[in-house]
Amino acid sequence: MANRAVPQRPNGQTPGKICQFKLVLLGESSVGKSSLVLRFVKGQFHEYQESTIGAAFLTQTIHLNDVAVKFEIWDTAGQERYHSLAPMYYRGAQAAIVVYDITNQDTFERAKNWVKELQRQATPGIVIALAGNKLDLNTMRSVQTDESQTYAYENGLLFMETSAKTSANVTEIFKAIAEKLPKNETTSTAGQGRRLVESEGANKSLSSCCK
Amino acid sequence: MSTSTFSKSDEYGFERPDDFDYVEYEKFMSVYLTVLTKCSMRWSRLLVTNPQLKRNAQLKKIVRKGIPLTLRAQAWTSISGVQKLKDKYGPNLYKRMLNKPINEDIRNIITVDVPRTYPDNIYFHPNSENQKTLFRILCAFAACNPDVGYCQGLNYIAGLLLLVTKNEETCFWLLRVLVENKLPDYYSKTMDGVIVDIEVFSRLVKKKFPEVSQHMNNLEMPWALIATKWFICLFSEVLPIETTLRVWDCLFYEGSKVIFQSWFDVGEIL
Repeated sequence: MANRAVPQRPNGQTPGKICQFKLVLLGESSVGKSSLVLRFVKGQFHEYQESTIGAAFLTQTIHLNDVAVKFEIWDTAGQERYHSLAPMYYRGAQAAIVVYDITNQDTFERAKNWVKELQRQATPGIVIALAGNKLDLNTMRSVQTDESQTYAYENGLLFMETSAKTSANVTEIFKAIAEKLPKNETTSTAGQGRRLVESEGANKSLSSCCK
Repeated sequence: MSTSTFSKSDEYGFERPDDFDYVEYEKFMSVYLTVLTKCSMRWSRLLVTNPQLKRNAQLKKIVRKGIPLTLRAQAWTSISGVQKLKDKYGPNLYKRMLNKPINEDIRNIITVDVPRTYPDNIYFHPNSENQKTLFRILCAFAACNPDVGYCQGLNYIAGLLLLVTKNEETCFWLLRVLVENKLPDYYSKTMDGVIVDIEVFSRLVKKKFPEVSQHMNNLEMPWALIATKWFICLFSEVLPIETTLRVWDCLFYEGSKVIFQSWFDVGEIL
């Protein structure tokens, strides 16, 4: 388990807090993972978003009261066979968005499998959000909101239906995650860079990374 | 290869970015054109002495210096051993494979991936002939290699092969020779080849560029995050197109070790 430690600020003072979290996106191919990220990070949408090979990395910061929450976003490939690479990507993630397509029941079943895997193998305490994407295709819906809502509630997940195309609930879901993440460790100055150390499993709790 | 008119897209149909530096490009091309001319002359002489492009030390050397675009389809076919595959499976294999049914899930994912293959390339616009051709090539490949079927990333390789060779069947055979003869099992259902090669790569970086390796460790970035695409897409969409094709020239002759060599060459330059 990799936990993050950051150098102590020399004079011990707390600047405007910046918390940094690793967030991974998982879900079946073409449910809109990359599109959600593109909308959140750049405010754009491409009808034909190139398929992600391996993974892509982007960052975006949002502000919650006096705290700047910086997301390191790891966007992953969705095809089943890339599954064997996934643990490398979600290792050490403090948050995950598991995405499915509301017009495709199979992608919802796949999302449930991702949730199970994360709960079993990812960082204990990881904040998981379930995103039912393509809300703009509501008329072609095959996964009912109630069904997902109940599943999310039973499994302790955040849940929203989103549309990367219209931007509905995109910022909101990241914000909901940011609110749920612990932001109580204040240790370092922004701009100093952070030092990351491998712990020997001594501290298994979720560590936030605040500077 | 034209340099006199600067259009919004390059000669392969890829759109140039808004901030493309045409002045710098012209400066580069004025030098590079000489290189390309020398390359063409070298190949003209070669085709007299070795018209079948039989593999030998001299050919390997010349391939490393680059293959002219107009000869790439022919040269890649010869140096990679496509003929041997054709002899083994028969010349009508492609047509037979086009008619062979494939798994519906695979067909669906190819259907979704084709429109998002090089969407910014003018030759891959929605409902273009190239999109239909690419769909057929990927389905035929899946039909004749059920162990691989379809792996995301093959669309980029087949797409670029199509842009270069402009021939559907040649593209199919070159895709087969790459996946089945030149590369380890990158595209199989467990992608073992990629996982192994990324591990090999990370150990080589640690040995050759320890400071780079340390930097990645400090950032807590596994090499898999960025290197997967290099192996799966063979640098397409990673390096500039000309550079990618020069790598592919060597790849068709020498196989997957070229991926490692190319990265370390880029690493040395940086």
